[in-house]
Amino acid sequence: MIEEIRQKAKELLAASKVDMVIGYRRSGDGVSTVPAFIDSAQDVDSLVWDQNCVYNLANYLREFPGKKIGVVAKGCDARAIVVLLQENQLERENLFIIGVECGVTDISEKCAACPRTVSAICDILIKEKGRKSGAPGNEKDAYAAVEALEARRAEERLGLWREEFSRCIRCYACRQVCPMCYCPKCVADQTMPAWFSKATSLEGNFAWNVTRAFHLAGRCVDCGECERACPVGIPLRDLNKKLEKEAKELYKYEAGSSVEAKPLFASYDKDDPKDFIK
Amino acid sequence: MSALGTDSMKDDKKMAADGGFEPNIVGFLCNWCSYAGADLAGTSRMQYPPNVKIIRVPCSGRVNPLFILKCLMDGADGVLISGCHIGDCHYSEGNYYARRRFAVLKNFLEYIGIDPRRFQMSWVSAAEGDKWAKVVKEVVEDIRNAGPNTISAEKK
Ligand code: SF4
Ligand code: SF4
Ligand code: FES
Repeated sequence: MIEEIRQKAKELLAASKVDMVIGYRRSGDGVSTVPAFIDSAQDVDSLVWDQNCVYNLANYLREFPGKKIGVVAKGCDARAIVVLLQENQLERENLFIIGVECGVTDISEKCAACPRTVSAICDILIKEKGRKSGAPGNEKDAYAAVEALEARRAEERLGLWREEFSRCIRCYACRQVCPMCYCPKCVADQTMPAWFSKATSLEGNFAWNVTRAFHLAGRCVDCGECERACPVGIPLRDLNKKLEKEAKELYKYEAGSSVEAKPLFASYDKDDPKDFIK
Repeated sequence: MSALGTDSMKDDKKMAADGGFEPNIVGFLCNWCSYAGADLAGTSRMQYPPNVKIIRVPCSGRVNPLFILKCLMDGADGVLISGCHIGDCHYSEGNYYARRRFAVLKNFLEYIGIDPRRFQMSWVSAAEGDKWAKVVKEVVEDIRNAGPNTISAEKK
């Protein structure tokens, strides 16, 4: 696969079809990868592709307005691109999406339950050899952790989240790594008004984590990057997945499935649930 | 002092004179329907509990989920959003958007372990003073039963 990725990148750069290709290269430790920003056809050989390609590269696309960018996109990266297009954050004609069929189900825990390993949107799809094309991902148990939590008593849930949130050090790595966390001024950084405490108090941490997750409702594509980035191991995907499940169950909405669809909270239906209102 | 410059409700007396728990509830009422409805309840001299502190907003669609969180984190025992009935919103569709986002927020808060009784919504028109009084009675009772808010209270 990597040869095909390099070949395509070379072709695009040489023909000046793109100004830059964003992919992955090996990091200093010789094992993991970091994002690579390649702007010359000679450099394409530094591109790599393996199960260490964890970063969601959609996170970088907004940084090059007006430039033509080629981007290597796994299933989750592509879904994030769809969300960003829906929200008018990117110009489709400035993107060349090199979709990669992502059969490496051990990139991280989330991959084990990833429903779509093929890019939702792409200009070329690079297939994994030996994999039946279009073979579906593994969707079973996608909500097992959420359901297990739902089944517990309310006090237990509160106790559990209080404990998790109390460890948060407010580094905001979860925010920085998320392609959809692009607000020019995050509420967590606002001082007028300051919506919640900036100190690592339980109150501030609680508010921060609930706010982060909720602002991604209907937008999070479950790339899992926030959870991976969190230095204190807060199970952020268990928050994200609950919201994903709600969007699906209440509104049949799935983030990142259609560029044309209106975002979840920018639309409504006359038949939306109403029984919770007096 | 909380960050918004208001005194934190955590410090408010939560106990009534007789020792029972008196919930402190924040109400976000849309200007055009529920606020007028509450006004009508008052001018009609209807009796209902005084626990809801009302904040007037232009429309239920104006209510940001952060408002709810802010109230709960600063110690309010409950939050009530009230707006025009579906079809009557003065901005046509504000309450549709509100309904959609707060259905999700309610379930999410419950998932985190926050008693769903602490966050409620109602549609009350300008003519429904009696409904407003009824809604407030119910909500106050609900939240009284849910007990004082200890969501973000530091462990003793
Ligand atoms: S919230 Fe986390 S899992 Fe969801 S898109 Fe952002 S980084 Fe990825
Ligand atoms: S990455 Fe983890 S510790 Fe850092 S702000 Fe996010 S939740 Fe808190
Ligand atoms: S104006 Fe009352 S809900 Fe919109």
